[in-house]
Formats: sequence, C-alpha cells, structure tokens
Amino acid sequence: MQKIFWVLWPSFLVAGIAEGLFFTVIDPQELYLFGEPVHLSKIATYSVGFFGFWAVCAASSLMTCFLQRSAAEVNKGVGVHPRPGDSTGS
Amino acid sequence: MIPSSPPKPAQERVPEFVEESLYEVHKKVHPRAVSGIFATWRWALVWFTQLVYYGLCWLPWNGRQAVLFDLAERKFYILGMIFWPQDVFFLAILLIISAYSLFLFTAVGGRLWCGYACPQTVYTEIFTWIEQKIEGERNARIKLDSSPMSGRKLWLRTAKHGSWALVALWTGFTFVGYFTPIKSLWDAVWSFSLGPWETFWMFFYGAFTYIFAGHMREQVCKHMCPYARFQGVMFDPDTLTITYDTERGEPRGPRKKGVDPKSIAKGECVDCGICVQVCPTGIDIRDGLQYECIGCAACIDACDQVMEKMAYPKGLIRYSTEHAIEQHWGWKEIVGHVIRPRVLIYSAILGAICVAFVWGIANKASLRVDVIRDRATLAREVEGGLIENVYRLHVINVSEAPHRYSISVSGLPGIDMTGERIVEVPAAAARSISVQVRVPPESGKKGSNQIFFDVKSLADEKVAVHEKASFLQP
Repeated sequence: MQKIFWVLWPSFLVAGIAEGLFFTVIDPQELYLFGEPVHLSKIATYSVGFFGFWAVCAASSLMTCFLQRSAAEVNKGVGVHPRPGDSTGS
Repeated sequence: MIPSSPPKPAQERVPEFVEESLYEVHKKVHPRAVSGIFATWRWALVWFTQLVYYGLCWLPWNGRQAVLFDLAERKFYILGMIFWPQDVFFLAILLIISAYSLFLFTAVGGRLWCGYACPQTVYTEIFTWIEQKIEGERNARIKLDSSPMSGRKLWLRTAKHGSWALVALWTGFTFVGYFTPIKSLWDAVWSFSLGPWETFWMFFYGAFTYIFAGHMREQVCKHMCPYARFQGVMFDPDTLTITYDTERGEPRGPRKKGVDPKSIAKGECVDCGICVQVCPTGIDIRDGLQYECIGCAACIDACDQVMEKMAYPKGLIRYSTEHAIEQHWGWKEIVGHVIRPRVLIYSAILGAICVAFVWGIANKASLRVDVIRDRATLAREVEGGLIENVYRLHVINVSEAPHRYSISVSGLPGIDMTGERIVEVPAAAARSISVQVRVPPESGKKGSNQIFFDVKSLADEKVAVHEKASFLQP
C-alpha cells in the first residue's frame, strides 16, 4: 500500500506540472499521432495527455522504488545467507 | 526484516528472517469539536474560500462566465481580462507571487496557510462537521466505530457517506465548471448529455475530495504534502508557532479546580489531554514543535477554555516564538522582531514582483500580430516585373470588443501590398490573412531586407502594432 502511494502520488503531482507546461506551449491541434493529425477533441487530448504524463512519471517512481531495494531484499530466497552487517532492508 | 528467532546452535546458524512492517499502524483520529477565537477564524476562512470557489463560477461578466479557463478555445477569462497562451508569462509570475507569499507568511506566522486556508484543511473541516452532525461527538464516534454492525450504525454510515458524496460531487461539478461554461454544464447534467470527459473529471475530482477529506485527512498533510516537509526551512527563532509553555506548564498533573499550582509543587498543565483530543493530526503539542503540526490552533482554543475553568491565566498553549518563550517576551517584543532580514528580503522580492505584475497587466496589449513569411514560395516575379513575397498575418484581437484594423506595409522604396487592407476581427478572436507584398526589383539589396507591417485599429489610434518582417530580394 505504502509503495503504491510512493509511486502514484509524486508522479501525479509532477504530471500535473508537466501537463500545464506542455499544453501551455503546445496547441493540441499541432500534434501528430503516427503522422496523422490528432483527431480527438481538445479536452480529450488534454485528458489523455495528463494520463500519459502520469504513466511516464509513475514508471520513473516505480523504477526508483525498485532500485531502492537493499541487497538483502534482492538476495532473498536465492540461497545467499545474510552476512553480518548486511542492511536489514526497508 | 528483523531477526525474530533466538540464537540457534552453531551447526545451523542460519537466522530465520520474517517480514515485519516497521510502519506504525494507522489509527483513525477522531478530533474533538472545538470552539474559540481561532476556530471562528478557521470557519470564517472556510466560508470565504468556499463562497469564492462554489460561487465565482456562476458570476456573469459581459454576457459570459466571469472566471472561465476555456481549455478548448485556449483562452482564460478572468473578470475583465482574457489571457492567451502567449500570456503564460503572467501565469509564471503569479506562481512566483504565490510562492513568495507563502514564504513570507510562513516566516512570520508559521503554517497559517495549512491551519486556515489549505483546501485539505477546509474540506476536512467541512467533512468532519458533517460527520459530527450525523454520528455525534468524539466519544460517540469512537463508540460507534467499535460497535458491531447494526441497523442504526448502517443508517448513520449511509447518511454520512451519502452526505460526503453529495458535497464531493458538487465540488467536482464546480471544478469542471471552471473549464466548461457552468450553465451549459448544469443543463447537460439534467438532460443527461454530459460529455464523457466532463463526466470523468467530475467524478475524478469528486472522488479525490471524498477520499482526501473523508478518509485520509491528516495523512495527506503528514505523508503526501511536499510543503509540510520543507516549511521548516522558512522558520527561524522569531517565527510564530503554536507553542506549549513548558516552563509554565510542567510538571503537569491533575488537581482540583482553582488549586494554586505552587501550593502543590506543580505547573499549570492539568494534564486533561484535551489538547491531544482536539488535534486533527493526533499529536501532543506538549512534546514541542513537530512537522505534523499544521498550525490550526485547535489546541490553543481548547486549552484556553480549560485554563478559564481552572481560573488560571490563558495562553499555556499559544502563538509564540522560540525566542519569546526563552526570554519571556510579550506581544510587543514579538511584533518588534517581525522586521528582520529574512522577512525584509521576502517582502522586497514579493513587492517588486507584485508591482511588475500589476504593471504588466495594466499595459497588456489589446492587439497582437504575428507575421509568418510563406516559406513555400520564397520570392517570385509577378506582372510588371515586381518582386513578390507572401506573408501570413495572424491578427489577434485580445480585447472584449470587435475591432476593424487597417494593414499597411513600409520599409522599402516603392513597397506595396495586395490582399485585405481592412480586416475585421471579432472580440477575443484571431484571424489569419494572406498578404502579398510587392516591390520594384531595384528596391533594397540582394537577400534579406527589413520591412514593417503596421496594423492599426480604426476606432482607437493607440491600438497599433509595428511588426518587423524580412523581405527576400532574389
């Protein structure tokens, strides 16, 4: 549960900022999708854009969470006995 | 992971590891209702902010909505002003102003924003009020929580969540009403013709309100708010914080009403625990300044009432500063220390930006012209041996009245243009027109030459734009 929040919440905040900056500068009608102009309504483009940003930011947060795992957590279950002085994880 | 088994004999020294969460299990905080001067202030701000939020979107202005962030048209209407994407500069300045105001308020008065005006506080206040009206006071709620499900509990819970959902939905509807004209949105609700995205955002924002204000409450402040984590850097020993006067209060302990603390070798804190019960984040302010404290002053109101009953002076918990508590200052000295380098620097920057902002708004151009040279054709020779360049003029009427503009060109001997010379642009709209500029072949130098387009309003001499462009001579 904690990890879900760590991933979803900061990415939500950053996605909001990214959305604001991006669409202030770029008119959705200037966007092309696979070489074709975007046919969605502007509100739809903004909405899809926001969730796109959120997804990308969430992926980044997820990566951070993933790389933050301690050696003990990574080694767990592969037969490596924890050595004295190993970090005890989260 | 924590080793949980006792040491084992040497031959099998593989300690057993078990997963154990180090996180404290969250206990629901049931804040006790509080009344007093600071609670009154908070309610005043709840009313003020929510009248503005729920009401402003219904205010008409020149036949349109006074405040409308029209995303589809990419225009922001704020009272008499219209902002285009080109005005993003003002948005940036506005954000800087908000940030510096927050810095300044925090440096002087601590977490005033959190305690009184933050939407999280405001909606939590509203939702807690509903909860209290339906389920009763703190003790009744705790009892209800631990009681088994019954007809009465089911009814109370349904009533509570139903009321919360209504407030949340209305909040979501209002939110969308700032982006889609709210009157048409209202009509669409009743004719069941809401657009899919409008419906989605209404429920999305509503759900956020419901979850944040109804269920998560102080956890948002404690675990999710970035400001709560960094507000400490704006604090200094002269910042007003909610402070328990340890010297006066300790050693704490119960006693009979009106007993002189000195006679029983105790401080003035009667250890009634009401300051903890009223705290929306569930902390004990007597442990000192903590980042969880949102500065709502509920404990001040509560403690003052107890002090009054005990016939002790008020203010055992009060707004004070670190220096003031140490050196036993009164209000005069505290106010005297408001003016200090940090506050002066924040104020100076804030003041300068505000002046620039107001100046910028007051001098905002009401006409904008973008000139784009048609790159497809470059220069070409037309009848009479003249050289022609083609331009697109994007004429943006930023004002709220329709305008007729005259277009002329200058900068090279014998320069002239064909195409529309008078262009009419409706209020808050843009028109793109094509203009052919022709010059004699001997005019100007080979290559790029500077020319100017003049776009002038026929009604108002002052509304004019002198825009540079380049003319290509082959």
